[in-house]
Amino acid sequence: MIPKWLLYTKDHEWAKIEGDIAIIGITDHAQNQLGELTFIELPDVGKEIKQKGELAVVESSKAASDVYSPITGKVTEVNTALQSKPETVNDDCYGAGWICKIKITDKGSVQNLIDAAQYEIYVKDL
Amino acid sequence: MTEKQAAGAFVFEPVPGSPVGSVLYNEHLKLTDKAHIAEFAGYLMPLWYSSIAEEHSAVRQRAGVFDCTHMGALEVAGPNAESFLDATTTNNVRALQVGSAQYSYLLDAAGNVLDDIIIYRREKEKFMVVVNASNEPKAKAYLAALNAGKTIVDSAKPDRKIKTAPFRDMRDTKTGSDCRVDIAVQGPASPDVLCKLADTSVAQQLKNLKSFTLCQGKLSGIDCIITRTGYTGAKVCFELFVHPKDVAKLWQKVIEAGALPCGLGARDSLRVEAGLPLYGHELDGPYNISPFEAGYGWAVKLDKEFFIGKAAMEKISKTYKMKVARIELSGEKGIRPVRQNDAVICGGICAGWVLSSATAGSRQIAIIYMDKDKANEGNSVGIYYLARSESQVSKGRKQAVKKSERINGDITGKILSRFEKF
Repeated sequence: MIPKWLLYTKDHEWAKIEGDIAIIGITDHAQNQLGELTFIELPDVGKEIKQKGELAVVESSKAASDVYSPITGKVTEVNTALQSKPETVNDDCYGAGWICKIKITDKGSVQNLIDAAQYEIYVKDL
Repeated sequence: MTEKQAAGAFVFEPVPGSPVGSVLYNEHLKLTDKAHIAEFAGYLMPLWYSSIAEEHSAVRQRAGVFDCTHMGALEVAGPNAESFLDATTTNNVRALQVGSAQYSYLLDAAGNVLDDIIIYRREKEKFMVVVNASNEPKAKAYLAALNAGKTIVDSAKPDRKIKTAPFRDMRDTKTGSDCRVDIAVQGPASPDVLCKLADTSVAQQLKNLKSFTLCQGKLSGIDCIITRTGYTGAKVCFELFVHPKDVAKLWQKVIEAGALPCGLGARDSLRVEAGLPLYGHELDGPYNISPFEAGYGWAVKLDKEFFIGKAAMEKISKTYKMKVARIELSGEKGIRPVRQNDAVICGGICAGWVLSSATAGSRQIAIIYMDKDKANEGNSVGIYYLARSESQVSKGRKQAVKKSERINGDITGKILSRFEKF
């Protein structure tokens, strides 16, 4: 399940670009590999983050994994609903399971993301 | 914690290699996504098929089946087999009846735990020794070294000799016609599952089978060693040892008869919930945990005249100050799970560390290693979460906590009984 309208990283994050805001989440492949999430540590609103910088930590009963920022910017909003219901990421990773919104401060960082077709080929080869 | 001793230590260098699919690999690919298959002890094994929680619950409520074909199965046979195993393992092999099994340890002469094992006595002079997948190459190398007289058996008497006995790898079809790999059928409904595959006489036998005993008979026409053993804490549990050529068929039959296929994730969460040790975590490992500390002093028979590692075990049995305990914590969604090496806090100081943890329903169960005199059932302990990421480190969260260090816990747990049966 790889929506065509999103951009992706090889670390299995997605970004939906809406003007100068990017909505960030993890992909179906990532949630499927992690198993049911039991905990998520969200970034602080206002945090300035570089592309590939550490954005959040997601934990399932078996593993803790970092979520890296797909773009360079500043966190403007986080999905606090995930704190009590982290499994929403498993149920709806591209919708209600979004992690945070970032105001893009370096538009060039968006150019480094791959599109759905490229991500699909990348995941198939894993 | 005991220091690893050099004198009499058996040193084994594993040969690195690429992981291989277990004998049931093609069956796993039919049942789960490749993303859920991972390397374990050199084998590609499923972590889960449906979900860890669902598989865990199936074993507690009904029945689950596990691929254990990666476990080592060694046959020790011949007139000296009893004497050889009695000298090389800690439990009393001479007292083991034909048709029974015992939990035991393989130690080196320095007392280091090389593996925890189950010995099945199939005949007076024929034993099956089941070893951990991760330790199988080491166990084979050790037994071969003992047979060749290439490793000492007694640090105090380096010239001591023991009677030797040949062994063979029962999983290797080149070693003979009676070859065996293991699948485990565990949980309250497991007799119903197996009875569907058995004729009336075998069904009767397996219904009457007591814990830690075995019988031999056909299931779906396949010759099986059927044992009442397991690693899930289920009161009702079986392992089936069958020829590798037949295992895929039996696996399918057991699933058709109602057992849910379960992966390594549930295997771990079930054994943690029950308090069972995993080599490298609750035994040996970074804290070099002995059988006494792990809660298995009964499997180390200090009244035997001799076994390899006895002197070290006698000393540890009198001096150990830490032990393994089982605790429960809240496992609600949104609670950060505790993990291996997180600190155990008593009275504001570090009294030990987490060894393993798992989610079981709405609770977390952790197996911890802590000061023996504080590890009383019903006591509360704190757990301090170690940093899971660099940003947590930059905010001041520690990556390791030393014994006796002053620190406050983040979450409170309660000490349970050491083991639990389900």
